[in-house]
Amino acid sequence: MKKLLLASAMMAASLTAGSAFAECGSIKMAEFNWASGELMANVDKIILEEGYGCEIELVVGGTSAIFTSMNEKGEPQIAGEQWVNALRDVLDPALEEGRIHAVNKGPITGLGEGWWIPPYTAEAHPDLKTALDIIEHPELFPDSEDPSKGAFVGCPAGWGCQAVNANLFKAFDMEAKGWKLIDPGSAAGLDGSIAKANERGENWFGYYWSPTAIIGKYNLQAVPFGVEFVGNEHWTNCIAKDDCTDPQKSAWIKSEVYTLVTDDFYKGNADINAYLAARVFPGEVMGAMLVYMADEQAAGEDAAIEFLTKYQDVWTKWVSPEAAEKIKSSL
Amino acid sequence: MSLKEMLPEYMTEFPEMGRADLRDLKKGIDQSFRTFTRENGEAIENFFYPLKMFMVWFEKLLLGTPWPLMIAVLCLLVWLGARSITMVIGTAIALLVIGYLGMWEDTMRTLALVSVSTFVCIAIGIPVGILMSKSDRIQAVIVPILDIMQTIPAFVYLIPVLMLLGIGKVPGLIAVCIYAIPPVVRLTNLGIRLVDKDVLEAADAFGASPRQKMMQVQLPLALPNLFAGVNQTIMMALAMVVVASLIGAHGLGSQVLKAVYNQYLTHGMMNGLAIVTIAIVFDRVSQKFGKRLQKHSEKIHG
Repeated sequence: MKKLLLASAMMAASLTAGSAFAECGSIKMAEFNWASGELMANVDKIILEEGYGCEIELVVGGTSAIFTSMNEKGEPQIAGEQWVNALRDVLDPALEEGRIHAVNKGPITGLGEGWWIPPYTAEAHPDLKTALDIIEHPELFPDSEDPSKGAFVGCPAGWGCQAVNANLFKAFDMEAKGWKLIDPGSAAGLDGSIAKANERGENWFGYYWSPTAIIGKYNLQAVPFGVEFVGNEHWTNCIAKDDCTDPQKSAWIKSEVYTLVTDDFYKGNADINAYLAARVFPGEVMGAMLVYMADEQAAGEDAAIEFLTKYQDVWTKWVSPEAAEKIKSSL
Repeated sequence: MSLKEMLPEYMTEFPEMGRADLRDLKKGIDQSFRTFTRENGEAIENFFYPLKMFMVWFEKLLLGTPWPLMIAVLCLLVWLGARSITMVIGTAIALLVIGYLGMWEDTMRTLALVSVSTFVCIAIGIPVGILMSKSDRIQAVIVPILDIMQTIPAFVYLIPVLMLLGIGKVPGLIAVCIYAIPPVVRLTNLGIRLVDKDVLEAADAFGASPRQKMMQVQLPLALPNLFAGVNQTIMMALAMVVVASLIGAHGLGSQVLKAVYNQYLTHGMMNGLAIVTIAIVFDRVSQKFGKRLQKHSEKIHG
């Protein structure tokens, strides 16, 4: 028995001696099941493994599944791209009670939902600066089935954003101004309508979100709404609901993405927390990477290596010079 | 030592195309399709313009007709097809329930989509079937194409249809037709080929021209099979309305989708059952109509 203990103690000692950062050890990290989530998780994995000597296990999941597991079980320890708008009710108490910590409140810049137009439309009509300007010109966006109306492509039936688009359509009085709210049917339908319009240089006006490959690929421009955000209360209780009777004009609610870590992890890993806090992907770089992933049909790991090779000026600022050297030599 | 270790490497590792080559191949094909879309998309869209306007007009007509008149017209059609008072009453009740449960407009949209696509399938399918029945060589070419159309997953051909035509009624219609047209082609072909050789000889003996033979002998005798084909086509068109709604065709299908996205059990069931109701009416009427024609032709026959 003593021998066994001794042996395991020695093994543990040799293991810790082997890695440069003894305190890191093995960590479970969330890999969100969409392209940017995949990329971020794999970039973190390579940086933490090569630069900080951690051992990372990726856990694949969606927004609420990952959060529930973190909150209840303390695993995974890190969630890189947690979209928090839908989680407010559960996230706020968890943050307050210190079970979860938000180490980075904006790991990607320029993200969010809203209304978009293609760049050539923006260029050809510089006077269309906001949604308020655009809705005065339905004739620029003719609907193919009824060319006398302007087509505003909303969200597929059944998605959360469908109610929001329908209510904003009503609030901006778009029907009376000669618009038609088009239901694209599905994500594929929405993507297809953007792809078709952009391949042919036709004007397009509708809903989408960033960061996504399609926004990056066609360089779609987010349209400022030209009005203020109406406030959380009206948004949650009316605009986001199907049965909202009197929706007010509003800008889209700000989408927030946090990098979350569990309390146990937060306490013992100052250097990794510092890395996670510094790690901010510029929106254009993320967009370009998502286009790369879509074009090359690249999985998360390949994309992460591509990112680390191509955008060294971006990520080397996130880590210490020594770590940067180690990561570079591992590529 | 396992079998794998004893064999030379080229036997155990499939000699697959290099990753980079494969990617370039896919990208190349995608790029050429994109170029094709840019150059011809508008022309193709213009080609379908009359069909689109017809669909828009027909849907507006169905939606604009007062509901009692619409029910009366549908019941009349059922009577003309099936000559059965039970069928007529059943149809009327089903339609009233659909309307009462708030699905009238979506049902009319689905009805418009299914009617127009059935019409298109028949207009294209029967001539193709006739052509196939006349030549074994044409048949040998068309049969595998029909097989592909029936088995290829709908999502695969939705991609090019979306890129060419975008979202809306016509792409939905095309998606439906690709899936629903094979039965009417196959069964037209089969029906004509099954016509008794003696009858054809007799027609020849009376000096019938090939055109007369086709129109007055072969097609009438093939009618039962032909109707079975039409019936199958309608059923398959109805089965496709949910998939068509993925690319923006409206109606009961998009309500079913909405229910699936949100786990609205009752909403999904109700709209699904409305599709079933339309299917039953179409099925019974076209079958009865087919049978009546069969009786008729058998009398002449015997």
